Amino acid sequence: MLNVNSHKQIRGIEMENSPKNSRRDFIKKGTRLSLLLTLGAVGGIAAKHLTGEKYVWQIDPFKCTQCGRCATSCVMSPSAVKCIHAYDLCGYCDLCGGYLKPDANQRSTAAENQLCPTAAIQRKYIEEPYFEYVIDESLCIGCAKCVKGCTSFGNGSLHLQIIQNRCLNCNECSIARLCPSEAISRVKASNPYKVKGSFTKEGKS
Amino acid sequence: MKNKGITLFLIILAVIIVTSVTFDYYFSKPDELPENPYALNINLLEKIDNSKILYTESRNFGLNFTEPSGICFSEGQFFIVGDQKMQIIDTFGKLKGEFKFDQKPTCVYVSTQNIFVGFRKSVSVLNREGLKMNEWNSFSDSSVITSLAEKSGILFVADAGKRIIRKFSLAGNPLGVIEGKTGNDQIHGFIIPSPYFDIAFNEDGELWVVNPGKHALENYTVSGDLRTWWKATSVRIEGFSGCCNPAHFAFLPDGSFVTSEKGTVRIKVYKPSGEFLGVVAAPSRFKENSAAPDLATDNEGNIYALDMDKKMIRQFVKKEK
Repeated sequence: MLNVNSHKQIRGIEMENSPKNSRRDFIKKGTRLSLLLTLGAVGGIAAKHLTGEKYVWQIDPFKCTQCGRCATSCVMSPSAVKCIHAYDLCGYCDLCGGYLKPDANQRSTAAENQLCPTAAIQRKYIEEPYFEYVIDESLCIGCAKCVKGCTSFGNGSLHLQIIQNRCLNCNECSIARLCPSEAISRVKASNPYKVKGSFTKEGKS
Repeated sequence: MKNKGITLFLIILAVIIVTSVTFDYYFSKPDELPENPYALNINLLEKIDNSKILYTESRNFGLNFTEPSGICFSEGQFFIVGDQKMQIIDTFGKLKGEFKFDQKPTCVYVSTQNIFVGFRKSVSVLNREGLKMNEWNSFSDSSVITSLAEKSGILFVADAGKRIIRKFSLAGNPLGVIEGKTGNDQIHGFIIPSPYFDIAFNEDGELWVVNPGKHALENYTVSGDLRTWWKATSVRIEGFSGCCNPAHFAFLPDGSFVTSEKGTVRIKVYKPSGEFLGVVAAPSRFKENSAAPDLATDNEGNIYALDMDKKMIRQFVKKEK
């Protein structure tokens, strides 16, 4: 009758006598395989990064509810989100809901009448009764006040976009995390903008 | 003793991490954030004093349309166009007829003898039974037909794309255009930034036209001369705001105007002289940023609004004093 110790001894002798199943070989093979798999995975990821499609953050203007968080939540200061003007949609209105405060005294360029807190919109007379509105990107802070005004009272030609050369493309966009309408998502870097006019409500470019 | 210290340290660390994550999760939600200093609050403009609301919604008719686009009320029946069809519905909501088209209609007008259906760049003429009698295709590629009206054998076609009103005989012969200019030296006639350009005749047979870019309603003679006009530009309830309002209008039996606006959607009534009378439906009755409802009225002064988002006809009756 064998006791426990003698049983272990027999197993040990069997293992040592069998070169294919030795513990040292098993560990060696396992280590090599792990290294190979790791190397393959790293190589694959690197190859994908080199050859695959890159993604960047962008706003869907049709989902945006103009909450104003883009101005305050971006890690960049001022925000990488700016107002974009789709001129082909603009009505070139004299009474522009995106330029003038709702209770403006008169339709003029006086600061007291302007809705934009940083005077980033320039109003230019074209011909009676048309006015052109141009965004000064360097002044725009992405607060969406003008977008809200234009969407509520006009054609919605003013809208927000993340300007890619200003965006840090953070792993987790701090605005996307707080966006109440989930309007910010990753898009292919080869087509990084969703500008109204070319980008439709159905998402077709 | 050493192990106990490490365990205690790890427990404290875990508690700190869990507390931080929980705090961040609950207080970083969009709803929990402090008020944003940059948010534009237009709710004050959407709040309407109850004393100004003169009408109440009495009933609705649900419609079998995906995208309704126009309504006309004639002899106790609604004529609704949209999708690629026209439906005739009685005042009890019963479907009386349905007619298919090969393209999407944009507007409809019903006279005593004919049904005129407007498409983007063509007009179909049907008899009252729905049989197609004629089709007019002599429009421009940039034409966008938005409204139709007929008087004394002349059909007036509002073309928002070309910013003109075209006149046709009932046989389809062109009879000229109305450009809305008061003089030859005028650069502009109708200012139409988006495809909202409505026309209608009042009970006195006067042709009224919306000049949406000017927030004006203008009265023209049949030959195209401006007779009179009124305008109301304001973001307040008394006026029209934005690029292109009013989007639609109709006449009550006493000649008052019923108007509907896009953007901040609201329906209002104005005296025949253009003075603000009151509100039919406040913005709170509609979805935010929904399309402007097309309008129709009946001989009893009831107002019917074609709600494009809810896909229904909404009836508004005057409140009793």
